[in-house]
Amino acid sequence: MAEQPDPKVSRRYRELGDEEPPRELDQAILAAAHRAADRPHAPLIAPAGRHRWYFAFGAAAIMVLAVAITVQLDRQQLDPEALPAASAPAVSERKETFADSKGEVSSKAEASSATPQAQEKARTNVQKQTVPSKPRSGPARDAAPLQEKPQAAEVARADRLEAQRQQPPAEMQNVSPAAPATPARTLGAAPAADQAASSPEARARPQPKAGVVASIAPPLGPEQLLERIAELRQQGKHEEADKALAEFRQRYPEYRISDEMLKKVERPK
Amino acid sequence: MLAYRGGDARAFETLYGRHRARLFRFVLRSIKVRALAEELYQEVWMRVIEARASYKPSARFTTWLYTIAHNRLVDHWRRGGLSLVSLDDHDAPSSMPDPAHHAEAREALARFAGALERLPPAQREVFLLHEEAGLTVPEIAAATGSNEEAAKSRLRYAMAKLKAAIGDG
Repeated sequence: MAEQPDPKVSRRYRELGDEEPPRELDQAILAAAHRAADRPHAPLIAPAGRHRWYFAFGAAAIMVLAVAITVQLDRQQLDPEALPAASAPAVSERKETFADSKGEVSSKAEASSATPQAQEKARTNVQKQTVPSKPRSGPARDAAPLQEKPQAAEVARADRLEAQRQQPPAEMQNVSPAAPATPARTLGAAPAADQAASSPEARARPQPKAGVVASIAPPLGPEQLLERIAELRQQGKHEEADKALAEFRQRYPEYRISDEMLKKVERPK
Repeated sequence: MLAYRGGDARAFETLYGRHRARLFRFVLRSIKVRALAEELYQEVWMRVIEARASYKPSARFTTWLYTIAHNRLVDHWRRGGLSLVSLDDHDAPSSMPDPAHHAEAREALARFAGALERLPPAQREVFLLHEEAGLTVPEIAAATGSNEEAAKSRLRYAMAKLKAAIGDG
């Protein structure tokens, strides 16, 4: 039987020799075994790298998600302020941008749902602000229907554009508060004018006193003003022309009057 | 092995001392190139160390150890483009010198060594597992991943050829 060892074959096989592994190999293997025994639960091969990769990826994903949620919450907190920010005169550029973008995004969807009454109400709310108004707060702000926001933002944007177009007259009106009912003053322009007056640039600019220049014609530019002064001079109203010229020089100190115009506007000697 | 799995390094030393020479000869006589044999021998033991946590005493440690050694040998043959199965029925060419040139005392041993080298790898492995590791046919079948009939047949063929080499066949 094959199971029974053949004595002759076995003896011959034993005669082949008793080779053994070298001592260095023994020591290397035993040292590795001791090192492994010192770390009973740590395999010689580190856990698959993908586990560490998963951990790093998961941490990064959580961080990205947290940042995204924070930004989204920030935007949602800004959202209720979009209406007063858009309608209030002193509106920051950031809020404008946000209100506009929100308006663009949601106006198409909400335009059909917004009732005409709501749109009219929003328009009226904006137009009623003839003086710098404090942002509505609390219940007043919360009571504003959400669907009015895009409409109000659009109205406010249109008003701002109108006010920018009429910026010089508005400044002139500011110069002359004694003539509040000038034709150039409109309901929509009033907040813009106030806005211009309350802006840092306007505050830094020297404010001319009320006088003849304002009473002449607020919408006129410097050249037209000079023409009017020349007309006054021709009509012999020298006192009035002198005052107007003085105010003109105070208002436009850097404006260089041509020699020809100078002869017309200065009192003849 | 269970003691070593629990962190007892001395238990491994006992195991290693018991199996080191036999396992080394098994690998060396399977491969015949000493440097390669040493490399594979070390790989086998490293694998034992690595796999200690997954060791289950469902069979003799010797069977488990030689199963690992068999797998390393198969990998080695595969890297060389060889297969234990494909060479099962074909005798390998001998690189040994003609034993007729040696003295009579060493002639029989040389013939035996030549016959062992010329054995097909699968038959040689079965013979070595039987003779060197002391495994039974079922254990050989388990270690080599074959059935008992195949293991028994290979062992019978190997024995017949070796007997013939020493003039006893």
